[in-house]
Amino acid sequence: MTFVKWLKRNLVVIAGLLTLGYLLLPNVVVTVFSFNNPKGRFNYEWQQFSLDAWKDPCGVADMCGSLSVSLQIAFWATIGATVLGTMIAFALVRYRFRARGAVNSLIFLPMAMPEVVMAASLLTLFLNMGAQLGFWTILIAHIMFCLSFVVTAVKARVMSMDPRLEQAAQDLYAGPFQTFVRVTLPIAAPGIAAGAMLAFALSFDDFIITNFNAGSTVTFPMFVWGSAQRGTPVQINVIGTAMFVVAVLFVLASMVISNRRNKQKA
Amino acid sequence: MTTVTNKTDNTGDVRLSGISKTYDNGFTAVHPLDLTVPQGSFFALLGASGCGKTTTLRMIAGLEEPSSGTVHLGEQNVTALPPYKRPVNTVFQSYALFPHLDIFENVAFGLRRRGIKSVKKQVEDMLDLVQLGEQARKKPHQLSGGQQQRVAVARALINHPKVLLLDEPLGALDLKLRRQMQLELKRIQTEVGITFVHVTHDQEEAMTMADTVAVMNAGRVEQLGSPADLYENPRTTFVANFLGTSNFIEAEVDTKNGDDIVLKAGGGKLVLPEARCSAPTATGGKVLVGVRPEKISLTHADDAGDIPEGRNRITGRIADSSFIGVSTQYVVDSPVCPEFEVYAQNIDRDARLVPGTEVVLHWNPAHTFGLDAAQDIDAGIQEEAAV
Repeated sequence: MTFVKWLKRNLVVIAGLLTLGYLLLPNVVVTVFSFNNPKGRFNYEWQQFSLDAWKDPCGVADMCGSLSVSLQIAFWATIGATVLGTMIAFALVRYRFRARGAVNSLIFLPMAMPEVVMAASLLTLFLNMGAQLGFWTILIAHIMFCLSFVVTAVKARVMSMDPRLEQAAQDLYAGPFQTFVRVTLPIAAPGIAAGAMLAFALSFDDFIITNFNAGSTVTFPMFVWGSAQRGTPVQINVIGTAMFVVAVLFVLASMVISNRRNKQKA
Repeated sequence: MTTVTNKTDNTGDVRLSGISKTYDNGFTAVHPLDLTVPQGSFFALLGASGCGKTTTLRMIAGLEEPSSGTVHLGEQNVTALPPYKRPVNTVFQSYALFPHLDIFENVAFGLRRRGIKSVKKQVEDMLDLVQLGEQARKKPHQLSGGQQQRVAVARALINHPKVLLLDEPLGALDLKLRRQMQLELKRIQTEVGITFVHVTHDQEEAMTMADTVAVMNAGRVEQLGSPADLYENPRTTFVANFLGTSNFIEAEVDTKNGDDIVLKAGGGKLVLPEARCSAPTATGGKVLVGVRPEKISLTHADDAGDIPEGRNRITGRIADSSFIGVSTQYVVDSPVCPEFEVYAQNIDRDARLVPGTEVVLHWNPAHTFGLDAAQDIDAGIQEEAAV
């Protein structure tokens, strides 16, 4: 009886914790197995604790090379998609032009399209153009599919911006460039940052489109996929864990900064 | 005897010549308009929403391009100048403070954009003027509405503009704060001596603050004058109804008696000074006779004999009365006007004046004004009620 009461009172918390566990369990497994010392070539069974993989993260042939390719592509794809996407978002919100509605829906199409279809059609396009598959075809493809996400994130922010703020800046002697740099950009920044982070994450772990259009270039997801056929080195878990930790640190840092700001204000 | 050479500085004059605005969709917000706001004056553009007052203001600021006409500040034609090159600043409706900058940086914005390096002293002085020195490092969203409003004023005034434009600056404040800020703005204007052009839909606000009020309606200036002039001598029913309340009686011109016109209305006669009639006064012509509710005295029908000679009088029955402290407001049903409003000061209240009582309404003919009967009697009433 008292247990039922207790359950009733804490059901929301329990459900929340279970969901959180469901979300984070895979990360826990990846982290734990990064300290494993597997017997064979596959890292699927727990054997014993070891720091070998952490001491030598690049000990697997070609892995760190593929990681570097992935990071480079993600970096440039993020920059390309963010710059283009931000401009598109401003154009769509601020200016009235012919076919604006059509452009608005076309921007969303790549998000809705099955990735494998897009991958195959991109390959056809590249081959017909006689393009050499590799770093540049991957980058072009990544900028393309990241664009829609950046546009969506930035557009939401720009739409909620009061156009009078820019008029006020102009009224206070800021020319068009100053207005953009001093007022428009800082206010749109959270939307742009969200779009950029989304683009980075999407580009870094994309497999399908990359696999179709990579030629002989190997990215990190492709390396993981390839090695999964023959055996999975523990270093893959090390990289996965490291990325997760970096992401968590980012989140924590932004929380600390915003907390400190709020305290200063109060 | 000394000769006072009154060298008038007119660099803060605002001169609009034939200025108009028609939007791409064909809507004309402002019809060609000529307006001169003298240097150092507090000028109000008063009207209901959509009357073109804000568009006019934005054309002075440069935020809206006029379809025709020119804007002059002093001797300078600024029509082609972008907003950031005009020596005017605006206090925006809902303030438009920069949310990512603190109060200090908001106020310093204009100075910094003009390349002024040492802004600290000026900004601090300005924040003191609007009593916000303590809040310098807060963000706009942490301040109350009244404080944000003062930041907006400080941010504009620190640039010493030739003209300060205020677009409904008090619209978002509650009534008590609004009254307080009206006096505050008036004080600041007197102190800095800058020309203020103030847009508002609140007739009390316009009358309290401004030296000159332009009443706008449907993209045109209906009448321009001092608050007292507009109130006492409205020239259209719109102005008469938009500023305060007016009673109208439809009458016919009968004869002229010296400087007065004698009119027939529902069997009785009313006298109207000819100088206060803006309608044609040919015998037999129709005139709307107007009188303000507070100018009228109310006498019980039994005492009608006590009313002095020479006053305009009509009869009626009290339909409704409401006691509001300083005065009692009566609605009188009269044969010449169905809902005649009378505001009586509560000095010597006649206890017999209750709804249903037959009364005589009388007033000094000098308080009567005459308008052209060809216009809508109710113009300007809806707009005020909607506010």
